[in-house]
Amino acid sequence: MTTTTAVAPTVAFPDPGPAPLRLIRSELIKIRSTNVWWLFGIGVVLFTALALVVWTLIGNSQIDTAAAAGNDVFTPSQGTDAAQIAAERQQFAVEHDLSRTLISVAAQIYTSGQFFGLMFVMLIGTVLITNEFFHQTATTTFLATPHRTAVILSKLATAMLAAAFFWIFTTVLSLATGAIFLSAKGYGTQLDQWPVLRAILFNGLAYALWGVLGVGLGVLIRSQIGAVLVGSISYVAGTFLIQPIVFLIYTFLIKKTWVLTAMVAWPAIASGIMISPEDAYPYAPDWWVGGLVLVGYSVLFGAIGTLITRRRDIS
Amino acid sequence: MSDGQIVVSGLTKQFKKVRAVDNLSFTVEPGRVTGFLGPNGAGKTTTLRMLLNLVTPTGGTGTIGGRRYADLSQPLRTVGAVLEASSAHKGRTGRNHLRMICAAAGFPNRRADEVLDLVGLTPAAKRKFKGYSLGMRQRLGIAAAMLGDPRVLILDEPANGLDPEGIRWMRGLLRTLADEGRTILVSSHLLSEMELLADDVVIIAAGKLVKQGPVTEVVDGMAHVARVRVQTPQANELVKALADTVPGTTVSRADDGTLTVIGTEAATVGRTALKAGVELHELTTERPDLEDVFLDLTAGKAAIR
Ligand SMILES: Nc1ncnc2c1ncn2[C@@H]1O[C@H](COP(=O)(O)OP(=O)(O)OP(=O)(O)O)[C@@H](O)[C@H]1O
Ligand SMILES: [Mg+2]
Repeated sequence: MTTTTAVAPTVAFPDPGPAPLRLIRSELIKIRSTNVWWLFGIGVVLFTALALVVWTLIGNSQIDTAAAAGNDVFTPSQGTDAAQIAAERQQFAVEHDLSRTLISVAAQIYTSGQFFGLMFVMLIGTVLITNEFFHQTATTTFLATPHRTAVILSKLATAMLAAAFFWIFTTVLSLATGAIFLSAKGYGTQLDQWPVLRAILFNGLAYALWGVLGVGLGVLIRSQIGAVLVGSISYVAGTFLIQPIVFLIYTFLIKKTWVLTAMVAWPAIASGIMISPEDAYPYAPDWWVGGLVLVGYSVLFGAIGTLITRRRDIS
Repeated sequence: MSDGQIVVSGLTKQFKKVRAVDNLSFTVEPGRVTGFLGPNGAGKTTTLRMLLNLVTPTGGTGTIGGRRYADLSQPLRTVGAVLEASSAHKGRTGRNHLRMICAAAGFPNRRADEVLDLVGLTPAAKRKFKGYSLGMRQRLGIAAAMLGDPRVLILDEPANGLDPEGIRWMRGLLRTLADEGRTILVSSHLLSEMELLADDVVIIAAGKLVKQGPVTEVVDGMAHVARVRVQTPQANELVKALADTVPGTTVSRADDGTLTVIGTEAATVGRTALKAGVELHELTTERPDLEDVFLDLTAGKAAIR
């Protein structure tokens, strides 16, 4: 028996190509070859359609109010609270200024489906990671690419690609609906207005950042169910729980405006602040603070997650 | 040093409570099938996973062709691994599972179809993984390992779930691949299967090396575990004589009266019989098989930790 036989190559292999592209292609095949793809797709289409109906109805009545409003004068209600007066003043201004109303309605319609769209993109990012452990495919993945950081980076890129796809898809749908609605009411598309363009562009940025955030969450919480629950609950809670709670704290416990400003620390609220053309709420910080907070979370989650993944035993 | 040699050197893994692998060293040569044997919990899977950069060693190294797995530029072109039966997404077809690996490794998609053909899974190529039987899953794992036409194959209990025909098929496949000069390292509990297949064995227990070498040498070096078969009309006298004069022997008696003596050689049994005046009708040495050797070598170390 010989022990030094050279193995005759029985198969010819072409050049493998650059590693990052290979990895992203592999990730895209993973998404496309399972149900995730069209389940999330259908979800986004349904919620965008629903949001479009709601926002055109609301926009319709807002535009009518603003167009009909004559020379009303702003009078604050009973309260003497500065934050409350500011909020009322802002609302009054928007409600009584037709061009501002048009801009805010257009921005709202053109970013329809954002609420659930962002959540779905985040969940796709999460599932990209947790699926590997849930279905025990991590072994296969890391055998093909022992450089784990490269794998995580390719998943980040893939999440952003998915985000871009969802953004383009929902935006095309909303632009068509919004343009038809506005011209039917006899107004222009408002697409020449910076705040409107800004809302559309930042919507795209938000999609990308939530995709990244989702990947980070998936690496931090390996359990599929755990990560999905934590992700969606903290996302929804950010909108429906955190804001009222912080306002209660402000009203009854710490009567300092920084309490309100600090709300930006919660990712879902940071995202709202970044996207909103007006102040998202009274004493909200500037939009870029929201953006920085989101980027910060993404980098933090991503870095911690990558470090954990590099050291983790796959067994 | 040949290209496909596997060298494990001082490999150690301490899990929180268990020292799964303890300063383990051995080598695996190309062109041969090496059986990696050990009782449950001996540390086989952990060792193989450390070799493949899936588990981080507490100490020591494992190299393939002189390089660590993580340092291989195209790992799947060098090493194919079959680790566990269930590692594919339930909702993905077998073919897409392979294509996703092809994409990551930069192999053309036709490789997926070629290896499906190799393992006889072509009819199920477009079926989802959740509908695969245990044996089909195992075959898909082998297909995945063969994608890059690797010169080294590492398999963890690949016979799990295979039917007799499948086991024979795999034996043939591994034999052929070894004869082509590839390195085959295969862990298994099926000792009779290993005796048919393996050229070399590495036996570990409780994370430590117990024995390494060619199967024939390992078995021959263990003549003391040989069984001696004896036919005699005076069985009781012989049993008593052996117990009195040759300590450490155990004698079992079959229904037909045949005695099997373990723990000594035929010559000693014959001499003892002569001295005791016991008449013998048959006295044969049965060469120990790998199972006898394995059980003797790992006796007392087999407890699950
Ligand atoms: N991730 C882990 N965390 C803690 N302990 C582990 C882990 N993986 C394995 N072990 C322990 O390490 C020891 C060796 O396990 P291993 O799976 O390597 O054994 P094995 O030889 O493959 O056993 P088997 O023949 O049953 O497959 C066992 O005691 C096991 O409990
Ligand atoms: Mg094992």
